Order: sequence, then C-alpha cells, then structure tokens
Amino acid sequence: MTALERAIARPDPVHDFGARSPLYGLDRRSVGFFDVLAQSVAAVAPAAAATTVVLLVAGVSPSATVLSIVLAAVLSLLVARTISQFARRLAAAGSTYTYTARGLGRGAGLAAGAAILVGYGAIAMFALLGGAYYVTFLLESAWPAMGGPGTLAAVLAAEAAFVAVVLVRGIRISSRIALVVEAISVALIAVLLVVLLARIGPIDPAQVLGLGAFDPAALAAGSVIALTAFVGFESASTLGVEARAPLRNVPRAIVWTVILSGGLYLLAAVAQVAGFDAIGAPLESSASPINQLAAAYGLGGWGVVADIGIAASFLACAIGSTTALTRVLFTMGRDGVLAAPAGRAHPRFGTPIGAVALAFPVISGVPFLLLMSGFDIRDAMHVTIAVGGAGYIVAYILVCVAAPVFLRRIGEVTLGATVEASVSAAVLTGALVAFFAVDAASGSVAVWVVLAVAALAVVGVLLRLRGGTPSLERIGSYDEPVASQVLGGVARRAGSGGD
Amino acid sequence: MTDRPGPTLTARQPKAVHSALTVLEAVAHLGAGATAREISLELGLPRATAYRLLNLLVQDEYLMRTPDLAGFALGAKVVQLAAVAAGPARLTSAARGVVAEARTALRGGVHVVFFVDGRVRVADADPDFPLSDEVRLAREPERFALGRLLLVEQGSAAAPSRQDFAELGATRQLGELVPGYGCVAVPIRDASGRFVGAVGFSGARHRADEPSQVLSVLEPAAASLGPLVV
Repeated sequence: MTALERAIARPDPVHDFGARSPLYGLDRRSVGFFDVLAQSVAAVAPAAAATTVVLLVAGVSPSATVLSIVLAAVLSLLVARTISQFARRLAAAGSTYTYTARGLGRGAGLAAGAAILVGYGAIAMFALLGGAYYVTFLLESAWPAMGGPGTLAAVLAAEAAFVAVVLVRGIRISSRIALVVEAISVALIAVLLVVLLARIGPIDPAQVLGLGAFDPAALAAGSVIALTAFVGFESASTLGVEARAPLRNVPRAIVWTVILSGGLYLLAAVAQVAGFDAIGAPLESSASPINQLAAAYGLGGWGVVADIGIAASFLACAIGSTTALTRVLFTMGRDGVLAAPAGRAHPRFGTPIGAVALAFPVISGVPFLLLMSGFDIRDAMHVTIAVGGAGYIVAYILVCVAAPVFLRRIGEVTLGATVEASVSAAVLTGALVAFFAVDAASGSVAVWVVLAVAALAVVGVLLRLRGGTPSLERIGSYDEPVASQVLGGVARRAGSGGD
Repeated sequence: MTDRPGPTLTARQPKAVHSALTVLEAVAHLGAGATAREISLELGLPRATAYRLLNLLVQDEYLMRTPDLAGFALGAKVVQLAAVAAGPARLTSAARGVVAEARTALRGGVHVVFFVDGRVRVADADPDFPLSDEVRLAREPERFALGRLLLVEQGSAAAPSRQDFAELGATRQLGELVPGYGCVAVPIRDASGRFVGAVGFSGARHRADEPSQVLSVLEPAAASLGPLVV
C-alpha cells in the first residue's frame, strides 16, 4: 500500500484552492499549440521584419550583418528561456506585467506593465501604419489613381475595424486568422528567399559572416537593431488562460517563435548579403533590397508577391499585438490596477471587451493623428517602432531581473536559470542604451518621443502607487487551478484569501 | 484537455516514468503544499532534476501548484493512474485449489474478493457463474453480500446486514439484484481477525434464504484461505 494509492482511495481535503479562477470570463482552454505559436509569431511579424531589418542592420553594421542577427537571436533565446521560467509555472494573461509583479512586487510590476502596454500598443500602431502603407502601395501600382493620403486613411480605418471585429468575436477566430495569414506570409517570403539563394549559387561562408573585417562596435549596434526584429516573441504568454495545456504550450511557443524568426532572418540576411556581393552592389544603399535582388535574378514578378506577404504580415501583427495588449489591460482590470470595466469579459464570446473598448480608440486614433498632423508615414512608422521597441526591452529587463527573485521565493532557483536571466538583463540594458545612441546619432526624434512616453509612464505608475496600496493587493493574479482540478480539492470560501 | 496527445513514451524512457511516479508518491506522502525543495530532499534527487520532473507533471496536470506557486498538490487527474497502477490481483495456486474445491461442492458461483484500502477488489471471479457487475461492486458495496461484509468491518453496514452477520457470521443478499437469485458471503480473516477479503456464493435464492449448506462449505474454505492470501 503506497502513499499515492492511499491518497487516491481516500483523498485528504485540500482547502488551498478557489472555486473559480480570478481571470474567469475568458474562453478558457480553447486554443491549441499552433494558435498559441501564431500569436507570438504574428506579434513578431517575421515576414515583414525579414525584408526590412536586414537593410537596417546593414546600414550600421555592413561588414557583420549576418553575425549581428545571430547575436540578436542568441540574446532573444536567452530572454525567451527566462520568460519561460514563469510561463512553465503560472498560466497568466498579463505576460511580463504579471511575471514581474510575482518576482519584484507592485512597483516593478506596474513599471513592467506600463512598458509592455507601450510595447504592444506602439507595435499595434506600427503594424496598422505598415499595413496601410503596403496596401496603398499595392493598390497604387495596380491603379495609379488610388494613391495619396485619402487612400492611406481609408485603408487604416478598414484595418482597424477588421481587427476590432476579429478581437471581439473570440480568440478562436482571431488566433486562427493570425495563424493562416502568418503562415502564408512566412511561406511566401521563405520560398522567395530560397529561390533567390538557389539562383545566387554557391556562397562563401567567411565572406557572408564578415570574418575578414571585424568591428565590435558595429557588431553591437547591428545586434541592437536586429533585436527589435525579435521583440514580441513573449506575447504567447498573454494567452495563459485561453491556451490548452498552457504550462506546456506557452513556453514552447515562446521559444519556437525565436527559433522560427531567427531562421527566417538568417535566411534573409544570407540571401541579401550574398546576393549583393554577387551582383557587386552595396546592400546598405539599396532602397528595396529584396525587390532589387528579385529583379536582378529574373524574378521581377515576385516583388509583388513579397509585398502581399508583407502586407499580410502587418495585418497579423496588428491582430497579435492588439490581442496581447487587451489581455494585459484585462488582467489589470481584474487586479484592481485599472477600473473594473477594463476587466469585463463578453458573456458569449469570452473576449475582454472592456479592454478592447479601452485600447481601440488609442491604437487607431494615434496613427490617424500622426498622419493628419503631416507626419510622413515612414517617419510615423519609425517613431512607433522605436517607442514600441523601447517598451519591450524595458519590460524584458524587468522580467529578467524578476526571474531569479521569483525562483528563489518559490524555492526553485538554479544556477543555470540565474545566469541566463542575469546575462539577459545586463546585455538588454546595454542594448537599450546603445539603441538610443544609434537612433539619436541618426538625427531621429524617436529618442525624445520615447523619453516623453517614459516620463508619462513613470508619472502614471507613481500616481497609481500613491493612490492606495490596499487596492493593489491582487496584483499578479493569474489563472489559478480551481478546487475541482485538485485531488480532494474543497473550494475555499470567498473572502478567505485571494479572489 | 489537450488537443493532441502529450509526449509519447519510447522504450528508452522507463526510468523517467519511474521517477515521475516516485515524485507523485512523494507529494502524496508529504501532503498538499509540499515545496520543490522538500520533495527533492525526500527523494534524494538532484534539485534541477526534481524541478524538471515537477514542472512536467504540473504541465500534464498530475500535480497542481498551490496559489502561492511554491507548493504542490496532487491533481484530480492522478485518479486515472489508479486503474493502471492497480494490477489484477491473483490468488496463489494453493488458494486456487481451495476455491476449486468449494466450487465443486456448491453448484453455483463462488467468488473471492480482497478488501484493499476500503474498497472491494475482485481476486477470483467464478468463470462459470460470472459476477453480475464488478464495477458496481466496487462502487456500491452496500448492494452486494460481498460488499456488505466490508461495511460490517468498517462499522457502516445497515441494520439487516449487521443482524445477518450477528446470527450467521455471514452477510446475504436475497433477490435484491436479480429476482430468484441470492448471495451469501463469509469473511476471510488475517491472524488478528481483521477481514482481508471475502468468499461468496451466488445462486438460487432458496439456498441463500436457508444458508446452512452453503455456509458449511464457505466457512472452512474461508478459514483455509486466510493464511494463503495474507
């Protein structure tokens, strides 16, 4: 007679668990691994990034473009593994906000929450702008009369309306659309790149890796730019409630997003570096390297295919970023950080409609205002991605600092996890500083916009902290197991702790 | 719960399965709220290994983390393991000889059950006169003569069963499951007199109404089974 057999036959009552999760109301355990993966991949938008980031990296690090991307991938993988330490242990909808609060407490949790909201919000705006830019570009090339700011604004409005409808209708639909759109766009770009590589012929690894002229400063700057192409990989961690087997699927999706995006970027970088070497032109001064290469290798028609893929990728990115944004806002509503309506769920669709109503005016309004106030769309995209990238990196730094503290608190700290988290936090901090040094050196206004947004966030967090500590007691709530899932579980009475 | 099967088992992983079961065993032993450190100490496993096993078991919901995330409790899903873990109980050949003799002496079904941790587990059902419902016997012991003995032992039997046992040293079921059929059961005792199981007869109801002939076979059989099955 073993203890396990005895426990099964005559379970002792366990009173630690509640009758329902604090995050009740969402469509619980409804999407599988590939939909969760699609969420993260969509937020990264690798198809769009693969075509743009290589050019940006080549601009600052022409000799070590490929190596910069490899370094950024390694750093992202370390951060992904650190975030997985949380994702393996708690099913949350608040991503880095909930995780940081669990490790470092209220102040840092709110800071990470503000940072990741800025990240998801700004990237959602960036994706809406990018989608509008590419769709307008495609329309214009088919019907030249269609160009101009009017079309741009109309496409922007149509995109925002589509994303809003999809988000309200439910996670099954939104994640499936993201999955299909993202799979198509990644496949289009990957096929184009592979065909290009095949036409380019044999490549010289030493030449592609830039081992001849090694420049550490350029390599660092290039890696920082490349890092912005990876951010968003953690957004599967906002589906902790809605994913099936979340403690397995969410961490797996986070790590695989980094691997898949890294693979695609590497393919893109090798194809472009080798391709421009072969045709004897400088990559960093090309306006549209993929199109130029496609034309040079007799694949002119493929340029349009790539553009369609990129436009689709932006749309999926808008869905993914907004999904993540609304889940974090929803969690804050339930935590008592925001007013209760933010935590409202749709009774039938199980979607966080309170958060959707809160988020949409901002993420669709700001791009409109930017365009109306005479910003060039590419400048607007640059500013939004810089703000978003900064938000993500700040949130990553905080969550990496929080991880070892959290693991120690629950008594599961290991040397490996501590080293990974500490290295990630240190390198990310360096990267953040380098990012703005690079950006400011290029004469961009982005750094000032970021500082202004950061100041606003700091003021918001401080006001909330002063507003009353008791109301922040529930910060860090997650999708706790309920009593019925526990052997011998007897639901604790409401009010006797927790929710 | 999952949309696809979990990790599949290969022939190289039996050790991992063994470790996983010992972890569950440790949580059962330590009780709900045991921490990862306590579990790794209890098992003498390296900490990193223990944490990895714990996280895998939590992913599959065999374990649940307590709301403070530091402790573990058995998940309701471990009940599924019980069916796998409880292998078929088998009688020794000496015991089977005793049962075979009883079957020859009584024209009717003779069944042997064990009482394992408060439940009836069938050890040897008569192949010629099958038990009416083995699952129900485990779930609703109060409906069967064999189960009523268990309840007598536990002190929770209904008054008629207690009276039967006081008068006959046996429990009966008289046409309550199938009209015209009845059952008689006598306890198999260990050296201290505790019931470790029962041997039962099922057959025509009149032989249970007037059980002296049946008891004259069952009682010696139960007495000789005692030392053979404990």
